[in-house]
Amino acid sequence: MGAPEKLVIMVTHGPDDPELSTLPFTMAAAALASDVEVVMGFQGEGCLLMKKGVAETVSVADLAPIRDLIGPIAELGGKLLVCWPGLKSRGLGQEDLVAGAEIVAAARLIVEVTSATNTLTY
Amino acid sequence: MAETEIQATVVVDARGLLCPMPIVKTAKAMKGLALGEVLKVIATDRGAIADVPAWAGSTGNELLAWHEEGADLVFFLRRGEDE
Repeated sequence: MGAPEKLVIMVTHGPDDPELSTLPFTMAAAALASDVEVVMGFQGEGCLLMKKGVAETVSVADLAPIRDLIGPIAELGGKLLVCWPGLKSRGLGQEDLVAGAEIVAAARLIVEVTSATNTLTY
Repeated sequence: MAETEIQATVVVDARGLLCPMPIVKTAKAMKGLALGEVLKVIATDRGAIADVPAWAGSTGNELLAWHEEGADLVFFLRRGEDE
């Protein structure tokens, strides 16, 4: 096996685009199952996916729904980082977020991105 | 190795599960096996035809054989040292 790999997945779509909302969770779960460290970063409309109850409303044909993927992602050590400005502009705070979601800002996301071996953006 | 000779220690039934859940279930089950033990995975999502060999190759496990049984995709994987 080579050096540990770390994948950062930036999520910028929410319920506005179910397919582009679901695919980052698909890729995160597959990466974690392949022993790749995963950090998911939520910005813009993507922040809404971390609001309690929202992920349950998003699904798309032929992909496992987000509600079935969040559990395994957390169980396998995936991090869920939510950008503070995107939350604030939508009237959301920590109390509105799903368990395990961590509020961050740009500099913390940059630390994650620059230490990653690969980054995907949706 | 002929598939009829393969003895699986654990069977994962991933029928009806959509991508990427067959791989998530496979990875979870494999972590419970000892080195050299064999996992049998049954899936129906045809993405597994590409995903299972790719996953095995990236995690140090060995895909011993696979075949189709009607709509079912049946895989035999041996736990490797690098899992």
